[in-house]
Amino acid sequence: MVCREALFYASQVTLRSSSMSVPQETGGSSIPAEAHAVLEEIENRQKRFKRNTTIALLALTVFIFFLFYIIKLDFSFMAKWVGFILTGMGVTLLVSLLAISLACVLSILGALGRLSKNPIANSIATAYVSLIRGTPLLVQVYMWYLALPQLGKALEELGIPGIQNALTLPAIPAGILALGVCYGAYMTETVRAGIQSITIGQREAAKALGMTETQAMRRIIFPQALRIIIPPISNEFIAMIKDSSLVSLMGVWELSYRAIKIGRRYFQSLEMLILVAFIYWLMCVILQYAQEKIETHMARGDRRVH
Amino acid sequence: MVKIENLHKVFGRDIHVLQGIDLQVTAGEVVVILGPSGSGKSTLLRCINFLETPTAGIITVDGLTVNAGKATKEEERKILQIRKKTGMCFQSFNLFPHMTAIENVIEGPVTVLGQSKSEAIPYAEELLDWVGLSDKRDVHPSRLSGGQQQRVAIARSLAMKPDVMLFDEPTSALDPELVGEVVEVMERLADEGMTILAVTHEMHFARDVAHRVLIMDGGNWIEQGPPEEIFTNPKELRSQQFLAHILN
Repeated sequence: MVCREALFYASQVTLRSSSMSVPQETGGSSIPAEAHAVLEEIENRQKRFKRNTTIALLALTVFIFFLFYIIKLDFSFMAKWVGFILTGMGVTLLVSLLAISLACVLSILGALGRLSKNPIANSIATAYVSLIRGTPLLVQVYMWYLALPQLGKALEELGIPGIQNALTLPAIPAGILALGVCYGAYMTETVRAGIQSITIGQREAAKALGMTETQAMRRIIFPQALRIIIPPISNEFIAMIKDSSLVSLMGVWELSYRAIKIGRRYFQSLEMLILVAFIYWLMCVILQYAQEKIETHMARGDRRVH
Repeated sequence: MVKIENLHKVFGRDIHVLQGIDLQVTAGEVVVILGPSGSGKSTLLRCINFLETPTAGIITVDGLTVNAGKATKEEERKILQIRKKTGMCFQSFNLFPHMTAIENVIEGPVTVLGQSKSEAIPYAEELLDWVGLSDKRDVHPSRLSGGQQQRVAIARSLAMKPDVMLFDEPTSALDPELVGEVVEVMERLADEGMTILAVTHEMHFARDVAHRVLIMDGGNWIEQGPPEEIFTNPKELRSQQFLAHILN
């Protein structure tokens, strides 16, 4: 804060400093000449930092391409197969989007359960979070895909008709369920923390107006919590885009599966993996940009952004 | 208007904050509650609209009687009714930071009373004007001074057309030069005949505006009466000590 004010003054000062070196009036107060030097130095330091960071990033990029060059990376091979790999993007996006939607719904229900005074809701939510967070996603994916039909068979034998077919899931729905349920458990804790971070005074003000618990949650608590949980939720989304490659375990031709197949077939895995990594990275950069936009939008009314 | 019978509040197992309070406030009366810190003033106020659940006792607001010992659905419904009829202002304002001033004021009528926005807005604008903040209509609370925030909070409570207003140290979090604007609004409210219960350290308000002053200590009121009597001639030794302390 102090630094920001100093910068503000510094910017005011540099506008005129070329013509003036004596103390000058700024809205009634005068900044002494020595202070100008200090303020200018602060500003210059900021400028130097920005410039040097840009140079360093450029140098890093050049170095990486230089590396690509000396290891004789086959760019024409990459160009030839990029279209084929990109066809898998649809599956990746479909799985990620549906799974994150499921995870959002589950996390809100989970958080409400975790905060509920109802013993049944509370224990279901607690068990859900504990079980899912405590087991590998890999195992869960196979559980939905390979183990569930077996459960269906057992239930069918117990006399529930049609259950085996219903529980024998194709690869993509199984992947969406596995990812959504898993991320929902992690996000439950994020949402719960967001809700609990809203001061008790907000709930009391809502109650004092005569709101029910549900109204207070919907109108007052949750909208404020949402702003806080957007960054960690975006984190989860970015992680999920990459974890969606786990559906390839079930033979779904998504991004990474295609890259690995082609790489192995022509013994050019390096090219294919760099290419697919780059595609994932681009998707995440776009998401990050969207996150920043949403955050700025949500921060209306917050003094810190003005 | 407000009737409290044998009100007890115990925090934890053995912190007996309110010890059998009886109190009656008639319509249009302005009552100021004074007392040393920890004497239970705020808890008493917060029990009236059930922000604190009383441990025992009977509370009647505007004809609605709630027996704190029972916790039935019926009682819960009555508690919601009581909250609609009582406005409350907090020490820390507690405006909704994600809403503008006008959105804060219409929130109660729209969400709780089910009015449409267009129904609620004219009265809300009138209220903002009444507290002198019509120019801050579309400003978020973070851009308002403490005094302005508290005045919006008063307008927010008034939008519910309450019969009783509860003030819980409304000026304690304010810079000294901002206290006056809030007290002035409270005075005008009193002039218009609002029933007010206020916990406040504003001696001017207690002396010149209140009809009755209550001095609390150790979980109950120890003395009450018209301000001129309490301030010039307190009977209880503890009141004398307390008043001597705050008036000097």
